[in-house]
Amino acid sequence: MSAIHLQNLVKKFGDFTALKTMDLAIADGEFMALLGPSGCGKSTTMNMIAGMEEPTGGKILFGERDMAGVPMGRRGVGFVFQNYAIFTHMTVRQNLGYGPRMRGAARAEIDRRVGAIAEMLQLTPLLDRKADRLSVNILQRVAIGRSAIMEPAIFLLDEPLSNVDAAFRAVMRTELKQLQRQFKQTMVYVTHDQLEAMTMADRIAVMDHGVLQQVGTPLEVYNNPANLFIARFIGAPGMNLLKGWLAESDRGLIVDLGPLGATPPLPDDIAASVRRARGEVFYGFRPEQVTLVQRGPGLSMPVTFVERIGARTIVHLGEGESAVKAVFDNDVGLAIGQTAILAPAAQSVRIFDAATGRAMKAD
Amino acid sequence: MSAVTATISEDDMDAVQAKPAQRDDGAKLGFRLTLPAQILVLFIAVFPLLMQLYISLTDWSPLSGLGWWSAWSMWNSFANYTDLAADARFWSALKRTAIVMIVCVPVEFLLGLALATLFADEFPGKRIFYSILLMPMMVVPAVAGYMFFMLFQSGGPVNDILSSLTGSPVTIAWLSDPTLALFAVMVADIWQWTPLMFLILLAGLVGVPEDQIKAATLLGANPWQRFVTIVLPKMKTIIIIALAIRVIENFKIFDTLYIMTGGGPGVATETISVYIYKLTTQDLIWGYVAAIALAILIVLSIAAVFAMKRMARTAEMPA
Repeated sequence: MSAIHLQNLVKKFGDFTALKTMDLAIADGEFMALLGPSGCGKSTTMNMIAGMEEPTGGKILFGERDMAGVPMGRRGVGFVFQNYAIFTHMTVRQNLGYGPRMRGAARAEIDRRVGAIAEMLQLTPLLDRKADRLSVNILQRVAIGRSAIMEPAIFLLDEPLSNVDAAFRAVMRTELKQLQRQFKQTMVYVTHDQLEAMTMADRIAVMDHGVLQQVGTPLEVYNNPANLFIARFIGAPGMNLLKGWLAESDRGLIVDLGPLGATPPLPDDIAASVRRARGEVFYGFRPEQVTLVQRGPGLSMPVTFVERIGARTIVHLGEGESAVKAVFDNDVGLAIGQTAILAPAAQSVRIFDAATGRAMKAD
Repeated sequence: MSAVTATISEDDMDAVQAKPAQRDDGAKLGFRLTLPAQILVLFIAVFPLLMQLYISLTDWSPLSGLGWWSAWSMWNSFANYTDLAADARFWSALKRTAIVMIVCVPVEFLLGLALATLFADEFPGKRIFYSILLMPMMVVPAVAGYMFFMLFQSGGPVNDILSSLTGSPVTIAWLSDPTLALFAVMVADIWQWTPLMFLILLAGLVGVPEDQIKAATLLGANPWQRFVTIVLPKMKTIIIIALAIRVIENFKIFDTLYIMTGGGPGVATETISVYIYKLTTQDLIWGYVAAIALAILIVLSIAAVFAMKRMARTAEMPA
């Protein structure tokens, strides 16, 4: 059992800065997802936790213990590689028993531990199979079992589902989450897939361009994105963002969206937090939190595309800078060319400072 | 090439487009396409082999004044083969060849593996050392033989170096001493062929998946354990190939050795190839030579079949 503290962590490769500076506290037993697009520094962070890379600056603490100079085989870290890195020339049994065997455990001891872990992961019937012809979910379990047998306090998973086809990914997500509940270890999970992060993690650390953008529970990150990047990145589709200016009207504070007209008045708490702001802002609302109304106040926009995805229908409206998406029930009666009036749910509206990209909040 | 192209006539193109039900057409086309190659094999392998077998059953010699096809008039049944079994010089040459192989191939393998391990990592000047290391392989064996002939002269550089190391003049007659001559010949072979071993093994080594090595490290394996449990098993196929190539090549060791010692002093460095060469060019008893060559071919073929079987087995479980 172990908490992880990253303190002012920096990583440079020559002139290239992979990680600008990172402070993150991961609690004991927590499932933390490091989420971000490729090149955001998430894998670099993970490799430093595992000891595969040396930090350029800053500290990594496991509990109270500074990990500087501790080689990667001695950190008590389990690591599941993107492609699982199973030893294909060995059987499942030899794969699972590899760690204890290398540490010189007695034969009987190895057999006992392999037996226990195989039972837990339902690998017992496959123990004597060669590891080169196993399906991907079995490989994942072998990879996890091979690390878990060492009883690591910390489990690191590097995009373990990225090589799996979409249908199977859902199955494996559930399986992974259940395994984490069983093992109760601290887990750090690197992914670029926001859905994986949202569904599995206790908390998500969103990263971009080597900078930690926001840390929070999946709902916090979804409901209150700290900046424009997260607003666009989290959610499928991401948050709608329209550029405009704050303005007073007789009905209260509104956002003047230029050619699109004025938004409905902002709810009091949001209005209070942004009243002192000046200049351009982004008016943000979730595609899922929109209702269709017959007459204003609302955003009147032409329908440009209708995407039917089964349970729901995604309607694209407007063009260019003012393009938005709205998610409705599948039987929504909208067709391309029609004009719809959208009313974003008042409490879901978020205002971002256009200059800094940051969400505006009550002081 | 032109023969191959010519074979794909219009008829055959039709056959390619024919209905899949007519399976025979496919087989026929395949046969026609491989025919030139088969004829070639017939002439470079099967025909000489049969000719060799024929001559090996006679006392034929180029001095007999008869063409080889008339060798039947000198038919001696299996006399050459019974002579061979009793030929002490043949058996000692075979033994010597085996000794050279048993020493040289493992030494070349271990040196090659050590160098490959070294070159799998980055270090300053790697490219230059790499080029230098591969040079011996590119030296014409006859030239290499002359080089080592000069190096091992009693007044040559090897003795000079030993002199300066020991501080007293060293005048070892390397190539005139039966044991040292064999040693010198093996040094030359190791010098020339370690690079090939190195090159093949390096190719195998860089093919070992990086992440599996990392995974082993994370599971607590030390460098030696990683080498034994991951790297070597992954390189198994390529190691077998490298050893097979060198065993077969080494068995035929000739040019370098012949230039250095001529098989001497006496017969102290006379290997199978040198013995056959002498019988062919000096004794001119070609019927007997054919018998020896055929016997060796059979022995080598059996060895090769075993090696291939082993390889096929390993190949079934891809790395």
